[in-house]
Amino acid sequence: MRTIAILAAGLTAVLFPIAATGQSMTPMRGEVRSFADAFAVRVFPGNPYNQRIRVEIHVYDQDFQPVDAKITPSAFLLAGQASRPVLVVVPFDGANERKVRICTESIPFPSEQTQIRAQICGKFFGHRRF
Amino acid sequence: MSRIIRLESGVSMKFFRAVMAASVLAACGGQAASAATTGNVLFNGTITATCTVTINSNGTMTVSSNLQSLSSHNAGGSAGIAQVDTTGGVSLSVDPVATTTVPASDVTATTWTPTFATSGAQTIAETGTATALTVPGTSTVAVNLAGTKSGTNRFSAGNYQATVTLRCE
Repeated sequence: MRTIAILAAGLTAVLFPIAATGQSMTPMRGEVRSFADAFAVRVFPGNPYNQRIRVEIHVYDQDFQPVDAKITPSAFLLAGQASRPVLVVVPFDGANERKVRICTESIPFPSEQTQIRAQICGKFFGHRRF
Repeated sequence: MSRIIRLESGVSMKFFRAVMAASVLAACGGQAASAATTGNVLFNGTITATCTVTINSNGTMTVSSNLQSLSSHNAGGSAGIAQVDTTGGVSLSVDPVATTTVPASDVTATTWTPTFATSGAQTIAETGTATALTVPGTSTVAVNLAGTKSGTNRFSAGNYQATVTLRCE
């Protein structure tokens, strides 16, 4: 029941983007109202490359400290030019509102001296309603 | 007699048809008048900030003649190249280097400084701090990394590797 409430709260947010090809992550902004002690966000990481890559989703607070959020799935292989939904459930941890960054990170190419890790972060603001 | 009657009938039918045609035309005219009424159909669209980062190539660092600099800026080195497609309204930044691999013989501290510069849709001079991307379009990002040693410390022979995180948010 609690999970359903969380999901319902998340789905009430205006977070239904059309996943576009080449999008690294959409949406990148969002505001969620939740009646539960957590709020849910659905993001769509995308793979702009033509080959399959490994993608990881991480959640950070405003100071880039990791947030103990439930991410489903948190790491996966994504086909070239593809996108898939990822559900992120962020606890309020007792607060009435919480700002988090949900980041999509790609694993850099191996065997190079200076590797570049691409990170696309969206900013999301959760409000708790009683 | 029957012929006269048929003639009269034919005349009355012609009159009837004419009346009907006039009625239909009048009806059509009325419809045409109502079809000419216009209505506005509104379309709304909202584009939120988007950002796509594509890593085109990684970088290469070379060591300076005094062995105190290992940098992509040195002769023979090359910057990592990425492409950023954005609607604007985002910022670009690089994280401090946290992941490095150094030879076992290198036991002294190294200061790593990542920087980036963009060209294309928006030009950003080389910087290490977060910078807003306000211009929509495609920008090419050159990511550089410099490792420096101070005092009497020197880079040693072996393989070095570092990861720079390029963030768009």
